[in-house]
Amino acid sequence: MSILLQALLNGVMNGALIAVPAIGFTAIFAVLRYPNFAIAAYATIGAFAAWWVNVHFGAGILPALLVAFAIAGCIGVGAEETALKQLRGAGALTVAIGSIALNTVLENVVRLFFGNDLRGYDLPLVPDWRFMGLRVGPQQLQSLAFAVVIMAAVFAFLRYTRFGKAMRAVADNSDLARLKGIEPAHVAVMTIFLGAGLAGVGGVLIGLDASIDPLLGFRVLLTVFAAAVLGGLGSIPGAVVGALAIGIAEECALLVAPASYRSAVGFAAILLVLTVRPRGFFGERAN
Amino acid sequence: MNTLLAVRDLTLGFYGAQILRGVDFNIRGGTITGLIGPNGAGKSTLFNAISGLYGPNGGKVTLGGDDVTGLKPHLLVRRGLVRTFQLARGFPKLSVFQHLMLYGLDQPGEMLAAALFSSSAARKREQELSEKALETARRLRLGHVIDNPVTALSGGQKKLVEIGRALMADPKIILLDEPMAGVNPSLADEIAEHLVALNGDGITICLIEHDMALIKRLCDPVVVLAEGKTLMEGTFDEVASDAEVQEAYLGTRR
Repeated sequence: MSILLQALLNGVMNGALIAVPAIGFTAIFAVLRYPNFAIAAYATIGAFAAWWVNVHFGAGILPALLVAFAIAGCIGVGAEETALKQLRGAGALTVAIGSIALNTVLENVVRLFFGNDLRGYDLPLVPDWRFMGLRVGPQQLQSLAFAVVIMAAVFAFLRYTRFGKAMRAVADNSDLARLKGIEPAHVAVMTIFLGAGLAGVGGVLIGLDASIDPLLGFRVLLTVFAAAVLGGLGSIPGAVVGALAIGIAEECALLVAPASYRSAVGFAAILLVLTVRPRGFFGERAN
Repeated sequence: MNTLLAVRDLTLGFYGAQILRGVDFNIRGGTITGLIGPNGAGKSTLFNAISGLYGPNGGKVTLGGDDVTGLKPHLLVRRGLVRTFQLARGFPKLSVFQHLMLYGLDQPGEMLAAALFSSSAARKREQELSEKALETARRLRLGHVIDNPVTALSGGQKKLVEIGRALMADPKIILLDEPMAGVNPSLADEIAEHLVALNGDGITICLIEHDMALIKRLCDPVVVLAEGKTLMEGTFDEVASDAEVQEAYLGTRR
């Protein structure tokens, strides 16, 4: 029983970390209508930006997260405007492939500056907490808390701010939004900033758990993508639910199969869900 | 009669394809002008270019004598030119009433500062628009579904919401992109009656439609577009009996 609870707990914590970049990915898809695989590089860039201010300036986690958000967001906007924007006219598939190329370029720029070594954040080591037979690291709990606060902030932003409403309007019907004076081109820039920034923050939260290296983003890319697809591409609550579902599925898989099959079992679950419900949990019907 | 909307030598192309190759026509105030042409003639693109969704590459659009070429869509709406979309999807999460309210003009309450500090003016305008939205919905016989989300409406009712949204902006001219396509015949008839009534109230209408019986019944004059150019303009009978128009629709006779 406690083994199952431990798996659920670990699953929720891993899932919450994946949810942050998954929200970024799905928000970009909702507004710009293409899957941006360069979010892997934005996650890595965020992780390294936070590491840099943490190690060199002694910044705590909160300021480091803000730096990661701002830098990953700015680089995301710069890369989008210089590289991907030119491809939009050629269709979503071309932009998606372009984003894979962009991802590799950015990843190697990180490698150029920081090398291939594993690096860790400069944080005090603390022993795990135990209660009722469950183990949990204070660091993990803190990351979970950050993830929850970030998600709440994103929801509040989309629900209550003018800009959040404009974003949803463009995602739902960009022509109709333009008749109301909303400029989809401006909304696109802000969405890329938000999406890439969230990927950067997600990169830090994932890196806090262990260490960071230039492949950090790429390693979780498939999981992030799967979370967004499972939840329904373009749906932000969907990305959260999808990420939690994958996190829990992967951890529960450990109970019945060797660790090397962990992702296989998780992704088998995704195939099953998408076979029954191709648009994911909260995806809109194609029209 | 007076020209309300004039289109002069309008050209538009993207990604190497020339869609509009010099469109010329006038819409006289008070008419229901039909815009017909074979598939791919550029009818919807012409609406997009006139209503500011796409900036034209060349040519000129004037509204009531003012040059409005390439003006942003919401500024054209303010000047009284409103268009509807063939795909009347709306915003899936909003109700009919919310759609109508959203497109009322001059809403000080949209700005946070105004909503907080001059709330009485904002509230008064909101009240006015809310009455107007209810009246518009009643007029279009959408009163019983006014609080339903647009996703719960039939195809024809969605088209009516599009028309209602256009009316909320106090338009001088409405560009209607196939408002009756895919609508069941009795509701299509009802929409046609609405258009006649709106026209009777002084609103000029330009209508893209494929159903020739409807064009014949509603429209005078009729403008024919083919391969990105205006082919001819005249009454329905003149247009229908024209050899060139028949050729454009049916292909060249040998």
